[in-house]
Amino acid sequence: MRNNSSFLRLRRFRKLQFTPHAVLTTLGILFFLLLLLLPSPLFPYELAEKVQTFTLKNGIRLLVLERHLSPTVAIYIRYRAGAVDETDGKTGTAHLLEHMMFKGTRTIGTRNYAAEKKIMIRLERVGTALDREKAKGKAARSPLVARLTDQLTKLQKRQRRLILSNEIDRLYSENGAVGLNASTGQDLTTYQVSIPANRIELWARIEADRMVHPVFREFYTERDVVMEERRQRSESDPEGKLLESYLAAAFISHPYRRPILGWPSDMRYLDIAYMTKYFRDMHAPNNTVIAMVGDLQPSTALKIVEKYFSRIPAQKLASPPITEEPRQSGERRVEVIFDAEPQMILGYHKPPPPVFDDYLFDMIESILTKGRTSRLFKILVQEQGLAETIQASNGVPGSRYPNQFVIFATPRHPHTLGELEQAIDREIERLQREPISESELEKVKNQIRADFIRGLDSNAGLAGMLSYYEALLGDYRYLAEYTTTIDRITADDILQAARTYLTPENRTVATLTKKR
Amino acid sequence: MKQKFFHNPFRMIISLALIFGSIGIASAASPIALPDPNRIRYKPLSFEPPRTQRLRLENGLVLYILPDKELPLVKIKVVVRTGSMYDPAGREGLAELTAIMMKTGGIAGMSGNAVDETLESMAATFDTTVNRDSGILSFSVLKKDLDRGFDLFSRILTQPSFEEMKLTLAKDLKLEELRRIIDDPQKLAFREFGRLMHEGSPRGRVTTSASIRSIQRDDLLLCHKLFYHPENVMISISGDIDIPEAKLLIERYLGGWSSSERRPETPPLPRQQDGGIYFLTKDVPQSIAIFGWLAPAKRDAQFYPFKVLDFIVGSGGFRSRIFQEIRTHLGLAYSTGSFYKAKGDYGLFGAYALTKSASTVKVVSRIEKILREIGQKPVSTEELEGAKKAILNSFIFSFTSAEKIASQQLMIEYEDLSEDYLLTYRPKIEKVNAADIRDAAIGLSPERAILLIVGNEDVYREVASIFGKVSRIEATF
Repeated sequence: MRNNSSFLRLRRFRKLQFTPHAVLTTLGILFFLLLLLLPSPLFPYELAEKVQTFTLKNGIRLLVLERHLSPTVAIYIRYRAGAVDETDGKTGTAHLLEHMMFKGTRTIGTRNYAAEKKIMIRLERVGTALDREKAKGKAARSPLVARLTDQLTKLQKRQRRLILSNEIDRLYSENGAVGLNASTGQDLTTYQVSIPANRIELWARIEADRMVHPVFREFYTERDVVMEERRQRSESDPEGKLLESYLAAAFISHPYRRPILGWPSDMRYLDIAYMTKYFRDMHAPNNTVIAMVGDLQPSTALKIVEKYFSRIPAQKLASPPITEEPRQSGERRVEVIFDAEPQMILGYHKPPPPVFDDYLFDMIESILTKGRTSRLFKILVQEQGLAETIQASNGVPGSRYPNQFVIFATPRHPHTLGELEQAIDREIERLQREPISESELEKVKNQIRADFIRGLDSNAGLAGMLSYYEALLGDYRYLAEYTTTIDRITADDILQAARTYLTPENRTVATLTKKR
Repeated sequence: MKQKFFHNPFRMIISLALIFGSIGIASAASPIALPDPNRIRYKPLSFEPPRTQRLRLENGLVLYILPDKELPLVKIKVVVRTGSMYDPAGREGLAELTAIMMKTGGIAGMSGNAVDETLESMAATFDTTVNRDSGILSFSVLKKDLDRGFDLFSRILTQPSFEEMKLTLAKDLKLEELRRIIDDPQKLAFREFGRLMHEGSPRGRVTTSASIRSIQRDDLLLCHKLFYHPENVMISISGDIDIPEAKLLIERYLGGWSSSERRPETPPLPRQQDGGIYFLTKDVPQSIAIFGWLAPAKRDAQFYPFKVLDFIVGSGGFRSRIFQEIRTHLGLAYSTGSFYKAKGDYGLFGAYALTKSASTVKVVSRIEKILREIGQKPVSTEELEGAKKAILNSFIFSFTSAEKIASQQLMIEYEDLSEDYLLTYRPKIEKVNAADIRDAAIGLSPERAILLIVGNEDVYREVASIFGKVSRIEATF
């Protein structure tokens, strides 16, 4: 057993994951896959043909793809709602809500909902009063805090006797589900699971219920869990810390500047009232995409989904105001002092998909860091020995709004961040000066084509991709069209994109340096 | 209390609540008759996984082949009886560097850079992993490039040249990785945990900058010679390839592969250590606590009860005891639970939590209590049956791809499990009862555990004052 495997195993238990990093990783993978659809025009066409789509009267969009390798089905539910839709002062709500969605419903996870409800009304009142007092900081009256804390604990104890804790997880587990998970991004919130093919009805029973009637039991302890999540992912983790500071500098007004987990002072006092409002506003059937991939008949899938989901009424969608990011007019630099070896993030503003220029950055990402023959790996890691790792990523931290193309890098001792930055600059300048050769363009396209095929290997991967594009862009067929667009890309397009966006005044640089 | 929820009175209350609830919410959503999720009836599932073909070439090479034509891809996995446990003292990291250098250091007649270019021009992927007691090379290539790709892969396997320049680079990158381990509390903790669990054995030695610096090209050549030969590896092939085609390919490119070398003796299995509390100081706001014990091997009869035990204690999702207590009930951790890592010849069991400094002692005590109880009180019928159902029902996910099935078959032979391992797996789980679990839990007392805590100075002082004998350790890199 190697450290790594334990580490991965540990990660498996982070069931309700999100993090700036997970999001990065997820988006990285998504873009990677998206890139993949390439010249083989046959497959995307087939995919578009094979996917059956349905729209329920209430607006839920259902995508079904049959695949009969094993009698299992992967199912993704995605809401077009994420951290960007939170109001300032309440950051972390979308993510905490995602945790709370595992706490059951009025009919799952309770011995007596009516009795529970009475307690919960009082619990919320006491909890709110306690938060209000604690938020006063030094001016908080400690006897009052003590009294309220005592009341809260007693109410929690009383409610606990009525709760069947973690019942959703138990139902899924005992029925053989694997990969039960959820994630919150800036753009979307996702609930996913893979289940034996004969048990789809259980999924529908649970999900349709919690889409309308989740019960936020165990709220205050879960809020503490999320604080631990932040300690783990950001406060103890140099990468997490650096990314948080980077995004807060790269965006000055758009909500992409805020961490998905939330700012600590918001997180400590998140409340049920706002969470409920956010839930009601955003978790509408007409804001929902379901993708099912595996051993199932589309007609059967539709029947079950209709039976459970069709009576949820459509609703008017709230559209909270989103502040636009003004054009950047000069380089921004930010430093994080941390007890860790140095690393850096460097990135540029750019448009999101489906704008043509976004495709160009998918290409640039591969040209710079995909594989051992990519430019930055070859020159910075192999030839000059300046870097330990280097990774470009298009589409950070989300893709519903104009976003960032970023490069993460760690220098190799004794080389400095300054040397590393200069070397990256030289390669960016080269992109702006010389058109990429035909053979390099062809190589990147080849890699993309193969990796796309690899991405089709699992039900979960497919369900994830289909639901992602359907929810993000309103049409999963973006995947099919993607190939023709990539085909059209020329060396000159890449040159122009590099000249337009990869400029010093459009850039943010964040460095992490060691505590002295 | 928890066990009672299947009792009828509660069920009646639930259905009453349901009716009540539905009326109450009629305006928000039309009432739908939601069935009791515990009583949905499911059609039986029948499935026979495809059969993998086993072949043995004259030179002793064992192959498992499973065609699957869905995608135009061929995947090849080579499992090697190597691992860090064979690294000579003072040369720790050798097995890993050897595998990395096979990938990057060139082959007879072709430089490392040229190999990179060729592999990437055909968009093949090649990954290497070296564990404590095995090594895995995974190669994936498009069907259209199969012959050219496999030719190259076979030469990487049999004739690596280990270029000096690439060795310098690989060592430098490894040194940088070592320099950065301390920045990642989880990596750091699990590295030290693995070392402590295998203390006194070659299995417990860790790679350090000194050991990396002392590795020379000749060491790699010898390591390759000792471990990479037909009788010491097994290969699985899956994807868009027929069995005769696979056989032909392997015979053409690996049929002449031979070696008179024999790998060194396998180091003895780890022995149960005396329990002890170890503390590693790192100035972080969140501590990591990991408990560890030796546990049954896959070949032991107790493997099956232990699987169920692990599920109940901490790996069975949110309802498992540690998760339920530490995370859901107390809100004291985001990551917490247990793990059971069983191999053919031995196993490890561990329990862990990541919690803020101030709650470290409390969390450690609660986990200790859970582990003490599992060996003292019989598990409830509900917990036992729930865990068994989960393990049995999810078994189908072991067969979701040809690659998974082929490498699973290979691993059964590699780990020397009985041929009917998969066939008997479910019945053996089904048979597990509460008494079996208690027997399996006998060794799991907290006093016999290796407990590692990584945390700051304040945590150390508190841990030392409450738990008594705590040994401070320092990590060497």
